Amino acid sequence: MSKLRDHPGLVLSPLSFVVVLVLWEGVSRAGWVAPIVLPPPSRVWDGLVILFTASWFPQHVWLTTAETLIGFVIGGVTAILLAIVMVNVRLFKEVVYPYVVAFQVMPKVVLAPIFITWFGFGMESKIVMAIAISFFPVVINTVVGLESVEENASLLMRSLVASRRQIFCKLAWPTALPSIFAGLKTSLTLALIGALVAEFVTAKEGLGTLITTFSFELKVYLVFAVIIVVSVLGLVLYGLMEYLDRKVVFWRRSHFTG
Amino acid sequence: MLRAHEPIAGAPATTGAIEVRRVTKLFASRNGSAGVEALRDVDVDIRPGQFVAFVGPSGCGKSTLLKLIGGLLDPTAGRITVGGTEVAGPRRDIGVMFQAPVLFPWRTVLENVLLPIEVFGLERRAATEKARQILNLVGLAGRERAYPRELSGGMQQRAALSRVLVIDPPIILMDEPFGALDEFTRERMNLEILRIWQEGRQTIVFVTHSIAEAVFLADRVVVMGTAPGRVLAVIDVPLPRPRSIDLMKSPEFAATVFEVREYLGVAR
Repeated sequence: MSKLRDHPGLVLSPLSFVVVLVLWEGVSRAGWVAPIVLPPPSRVWDGLVILFTASWFPQHVWLTTAETLIGFVIGGVTAILLAIVMVNVRLFKEVVYPYVVAFQVMPKVVLAPIFITWFGFGMESKIVMAIAISFFPVVINTVVGLESVEENASLLMRSLVASRRQIFCKLAWPTALPSIFAGLKTSLTLALIGALVAEFVTAKEGLGTLITTFSFELKVYLVFAVIIVVSVLGLVLYGLMEYLDRKVVFWRRSHFTG
Repeated sequence: MLRAHEPIAGAPATTGAIEVRRVTKLFASRNGSAGVEALRDVDVDIRPGQFVAFVGPSGCGKSTLLKLIGGLLDPTAGRITVGGTEVAGPRRDIGVMFQAPVLFPWRTVLENVLLPIEVFGLERRAATEKARQILNLVGLAGRERAYPRELSGGMQQRAALSRVLVIDPPIILMDEPFGALDEFTRERMNLEILRIWQEGRQTIVFVTHSIAEAVFLADRVVVMGTAPGRVLAVIDVPLPRPRSIDLMKSPEFAATVFEVREYLGVAR
């Protein structure tokens, strides 16, 4: 009980959520806003029930999830490899890094229509979009991480006459891991955005397609239901990365003793 | 009274000897103008098994000199030989300890101590047994599986010391290793270093800005001055071994400390 008194947010936060839902329901039922424009929460709940009882729904969820994860893994792995090469080959970095930064600044969604043209209406264009959007944060975080090795630590490795490979494996890579994981966490969320945006542009299946289709059909309550599913999907993916992060980078909260 | 470092079987008798001849070190400044003269014409001779302290104010180049001996920096002019061979880069017969413990946070204490073994490509199992013994020796028994963040500053430095001792270097370079510790811990660590050195008789070069610490630990104190960094005097410490804290009360101790202070120009 005292714990709740010390942290009033624990009660107030869910309470405010309930209040908003009740108000929303009331506004809608009172007829102040047309239910077709803003469906009440109860209607959105109906929408969720419809989605989860429909036989066609799982394949849409699965497709968007697959596009996101495949894009994220391909994008993340190539990003890390590119960063490793950049950090080890100075000239290569000097040539390539400005482009990386430039692309990082560009809003990648502008590429979605081109990717549809190049890679078709299917899964491929969505994967490419997910790669494009999730790639750069990982590159930059990996480069920054690999270059944040402490002077004293590299001096220690040098005093042991460690090879470049040993310095990389035993010092630079573990030093970079917290930063790499920070990049990966951002990227996974971005990959989902990439897949959805590409689906908005043109697709036959996927959660993004459902959103555009239901919007055209003025089934706003179903749009809301899909949005909730997408949010939960994003949350689950992020939670998985967070879990991996804590397992792998267990020392994150401790600083280098030096 | 002091016996030289017992030669390792097959190793030359000069193992552990350090010769610094007319060494000058310039650090180039960023804008290309005349650089900083960190050391000018430094000569130092250290016999195998000797405990030598470099003492002086900040900027006297004592840490630079240590790094030059360790091959972590190259001299601008002059020559340094260790164990009879010229220093041309870092070498594995020299162990280095820094002011910071530099323990890797993702490694346990034992894994940190075994780092040099891994880097050297030595057999891990035999080394693990030895690492445990050393951790025992420095008072870290039972903390093998702890992570560095779980240790106090003094314990972290003990782990760092164990990481040096695990490879049995005939020469140990220490760059203000206890400078960041509190007075009490520092004193205990000093006694421990003496005890370990008494057993192993390594050549130890110990950089400090504490005159008392230098005199208490060393056979010889190399007094250094600034602008440019140079050797002002080399003073033999006439104190008997083994040493205990009581020795600090002796007139010889006070006289030697005073002598060093005079050379540093802070005696007034």
